[in-house]
Amino acid sequence: MNAMETYQIYLTASAVLFTTGLAGVFMARHFFRRIVATKIMGAGVFLSLVSFAERDALEFADPVPHAMVITGIVVAVSAAAFALALARRIHQLTGEHDFTTDS
Amino acid sequence: MSVADVIAIVLISAGCFFFLAGTVGLLRLPDLFSRLHALTKADNLGLGLVAAGMAIYMANPWAALKLFFIWIFTLLASSTACYLISRFAREQAGVTANSGKEDER
Amino acid sequence: MSVWIDILLATLSVALAVRCLTAPTLAQCVFLFFAFGLTLALAWARLGAVDVAIAEAAIGAGFLGVLLIDALRDFAPAKEATVEDAEGYAAGGSAAEGSAAGVPLRAGRAALPLLPLAIAAVVFVLLTAEAVLNVRDGGGLTELAQENLARSGVDHPVTAVLLNYRSYDTWLEVGVVLIALLAIFAVGNGGTFARRDHVTHDPVLEPVSRILAPVLFLIGGFLLFLGKYEPGGAFQAAVLWGAMGILLYLAGWPVMTCLPRVWWQVLLTAGFGVFMLLGLAFMSGGGAWFEYPLAHAGNLILLIETLAALSIAAALTAIFAFFHEMHAPDATETPEK
Repeated sequence: MNAMETYQIYLTASAVLFTTGLAGVFMARHFFRRIVATKIMGAGVFLSLVSFAERDALEFADPVPHAMVITGIVVAVSAAAFALALARRIHQLTGEHDFTTDS
Repeated sequence: MSVADVIAIVLISAGCFFFLAGTVGLLRLPDLFSRLHALTKADNLGLGLVAAGMAIYMANPWAALKLFFIWIFTLLASSTACYLISRFAREQAGVTANSGKEDER
Repeated sequence: MSVWIDILLATLSVALAVRCLTAPTLAQCVFLFFAFGLTLALAWARLGAVDVAIAEAAIGAGFLGVLLIDALRDFAPAKEATVEDAEGYAAGGSAAEGSAAGVPLRAGRAALPLLPLAIAAVVFVLLTAEAVLNVRDGGGLTELAQENLARSGVDHPVTAVLLNYRSYDTWLEVGVVLIALLAIFAVGNGGTFARRDHVTHDPVLEPVSRILAPVLFLIGGFLLFLGKYEPGGAFQAAVLWGAMGILLYLAGWPVMTCLPRVWWQVLLTAGFGVFMLLGLAFMSGGGAWFEYPLAHAGNLILLIETLAALSIAAALTAIFAFFHEMHAPDATETPEK
């Protein structure tokens, strides 16, 4: 096999990031950490998209995944901001910061 | 390799040394204030040297001007951030110099 | 040589992600998340995705990081030492014994959650297999994007995709930001802001905000215009303008109350609304949804980008200001049960 291409390195990293994030979502308790974990999962997805864009590069890298990732970053941050607002509100009203009490 | 390249390499290496020194300071110094001191002083100098080296390497006045402004605005932002962090630490979080045991945990 | 830079960056980003999720305190979690985002931005740049790098560093690490830091005031107040917030998630172990990775995870449970880990392992194996085995080059949509660039009204392929080929996505994205803002308002008090007539004159922050705010506005406008030719564009500009709003807000200027409420509403909805009206106008003219007339495509895209950037910047500022004021020191509101 040839030397590893750039996109293969980052694609492998994206798989590890996605898995790390997924494990974090399931295993972390605190709202705050779960939100961060979903962000890391999302980063893994974006990294794989951009890696594929680099693989399909001609004169420039495939712009469609790039545009999707930019859109995705903004949407993911909006969703995370909303999740964070919910978490803060729950914390302010009930003092809870995880879902352990009713499970 | 031209003289300009050699100067650029020397400047960028010196800049990297100051970044390294700032990081060592961040990790090794005992309390918040001396760490901030290490970070802002050493890193700003390091960034300045790296920017100067890059400007010489690129040999383009427009790029050099952009690098200069990047350095100036980073200086401004990091010194302000340093001031705000230390003011908050002193006035609201009650951190004093020599109360630097928090990293032992 | 350059392969090693990529391997180093990839390893660093994974290591930071793991450290971020296993950090013993929430504050460490936030700052490692910052570092993670910035490392990722370097990875985007290495992959030739400069637009994505700017967006990630500015929104993914910067803006979200600021929101996370602000949330720390609720979850981990600075007065109590940083480790005290460990008690919340270390049901099984005290902060003293959970010195490292064990603390933030489910220390209280005897068995590991096997199903999620199994799913994670399968996903991992599949993705890695795709990465290493399925080697092919060329393809994708690059060729199509390249062919049509001359008819898109801009010279930068990513901007062409965002604002022309796939404007539908971008339009809805502006909508998502707006909906997120409304949802966040709904979670709190409905989006009213305390009137701040009094400017707190910090001797350093106030003059710095006077210098930096115009610079941020200028660089934002520059990036917006640059998007036509090079990496840059509406989102990057929006984040810089949003950063300007947040900086002014934090420096004590009455950002949220300086305009009448209705002006804020116009500002927040302008991007989404004008985008939609233009789309409808083209459709009624016989074209497809968002099919710009060829002669005016460049100018129309610039108009839409400017309005979208203004709306997103206003939304980001409002989200931050609202977050900031969620932490009311006089939190005497009666919880509705």
